Amino acid sequence: MISIRQITPVFAGEVAGVDITRPLSREDVAAIEAGMDRHAVLVLHDQRLTDDAQRAFTRNFGVLEAAPGGHIATAAERRLPLDMQDASNLDQDQKPLARDDRRRMFNLGNRLWHSDSSYRAVPAKYSLLSGRIVVERGGHTEFADMRAAYDALDDATKAEIEDLVCEHSLMFSRGELGFSELSDQERAMFRPVRQRLVRTHPVSGRNSLFLSAHAGGIVGWPVPEARAFLRDLVEHATQPRFVYSHKWRQWDLVMWDNRQIMHRVTRFDETRVRDMRRTTVAGDAITVVQVQAA
Amino acid sequence: MALGIRSLHPVFAGEVTGLDTARPLSRDQVAAIEAGMDRYAVLVLRDQRLTDQQQIAFTLNFGELEHTRGNAITRPAELRLDPAFADVSNLDKDHRPLARDSLRRLYALGNRLWHSDSSFRAVPATYSLLSGRVVVDKGGDTEFADMRAAYDALDEATKAEIEELICEHSLMFSRGQLGFSEFSPDESEAMRPVRQRLVRTHPVTGRKSLFLAAHIGGIVGWPVPEARAFIRDLMEHATQPQFVYAHKWRQWDLVIWDNRQVMHRVRRFDDTKVRDMRRTTVGGTEMTVAQAA
Repeated sequence: MISIRQITPVFAGEVAGVDITRPLSREDVAAIEAGMDRHAVLVLHDQRLTDDAQRAFTRNFGVLEAAPGGHIATAAERRLPLDMQDASNLDQDQKPLARDDRRRMFNLGNRLWHSDSSYRAVPAKYSLLSGRIVVERGGHTEFADMRAAYDALDDATKAEIEDLVCEHSLMFSRGELGFSELSDQERAMFRPVRQRLVRTHPVSGRNSLFLSAHAGGIVGWPVPEARAFLRDLVEHATQPRFVYSHKWRQWDLVMWDNRQIMHRVTRFDETRVRDMRRTTVAGDAITVVQVQAA
Repeated sequence: MALGIRSLHPVFAGEVTGLDTARPLSRDQVAAIEAGMDRYAVLVLRDQRLTDQQQIAFTLNFGELEHTRGNAITRPAELRLDPAFADVSNLDKDHRPLARDSLRRLYALGNRLWHSDSSFRAVPATYSLLSGRVVVDKGGDTEFADMRAAYDALDEATKAEIEELICEHSLMFSRGQLGFSEFSPDESEAMRPVRQRLVRTHPVTGRKSLFLAAHIGGIVGWPVPEARAFIRDLMEHATQPQFVYAHKWRQWDLVIWDNRQVMHRVRRFDDTKVRDMRRTTVGGTEMTVAQAA
């Protein structure tokens, strides 16, 4: 029997009474979906998942996202297949990436608050992250509730942002950290997409701020003005009262709804092995119409 | 009336009473302000109806003026104020608000990021003195963060890690963060990065502080993305509410801060309204670290 205990005053729940390494009943799936709609982040401890079991659990909630375009690693450099996003600090030989490895530089973008796949025209629904090998110090995953952050805006700001459309790209989040040496092919892969700044959850009907380090502009605004404003919004939205910081135990499975949540990883000693594997439930709709390539 | 200082915040910032900065100061008054700056790092003085000349004269009590000669993107002919001033208004030479897409306005948006004035100069500034000639009703607060308290609150491992770190500062980096990156070769040369220690020690109090600024783009010897991620973490730590004083402006406020001990930023406001703020700056006297050859 599934039960969920809320972790912070505003969101995030800890799930008990389910073994997700085994097939789930329809009722269990519905209970988890209802928990996601309400809490936006769910933590499940002691889930000793294989890759296949993680995929199978993920498929309860939709189609696996398995598209290229999310990383600079080449096929030969990938440690995991495309339907499993590698959130580890490891190379294909299971060794920590060198300090100046380009892939590590790219991965450092995860230290910035973001929503997974907001750089895709159809952004992701859920992300599911399994802690296969965790580090003892640092490496927390922090989550911020974009519904509570939206609710706390003053009415003038709500009115101002209601119809704003942002441009998202991996180029922007990586550019923020000074990682800007991309090949033409990579640039084409990271072409910006448009996303509404305020989105409405299809089940709960709650509005939320669709913010992300991937957002590099607001349509119709001068770029510096857009970025200064987005920084103010991110600062507002990531105040401690909206944040849950997850300290990992091995075999934790944490799932979050990218439509309602931003997240980031905190600093850790990257000479240690941290093996985190993410599956992603693809979204099913764009948030706003895209512009055609010229 | 004797000069007095009342605390505005649990860790720093004071309000000075009993002083008219438009008139010449006695040696004791100058010493009292300097002692107040050493202790509070930010001082607020209300109702100081300063002319430009009076502001310059008051500033000279504390050292040499830092002459800005405009900034990287404003030509001398476009200057609204005497070069002794940094023009922190949103106005053009004809005292009208800059157009929304004006390069000068977009450049000035960098002031919305936490910074320390002139950290991009090899010899960074000591005091900044900002006079509110025309202020706005809503927004436009100047926020200050106490880099001494922020340093003190770091854990011992972090203090040890950062003790000897050297950062590279440039206006290019702060403007680049907002996507403002189109600079001519001349401008790029003028904005060549300088080096600053990350931990500096105040010459009078001996207190250590974090010398952070949006102008930082790297740490010597570190890969750039790792440096920037780490600096962002330190910035977030250092600008928590317990270290921040938000100044809501009244016309004729004069606010003085010590760039060696605080960061500051301006908050968003409706910049179709006139906001006329004029800053004088006291030049520093020494580098925090030897520059690269």
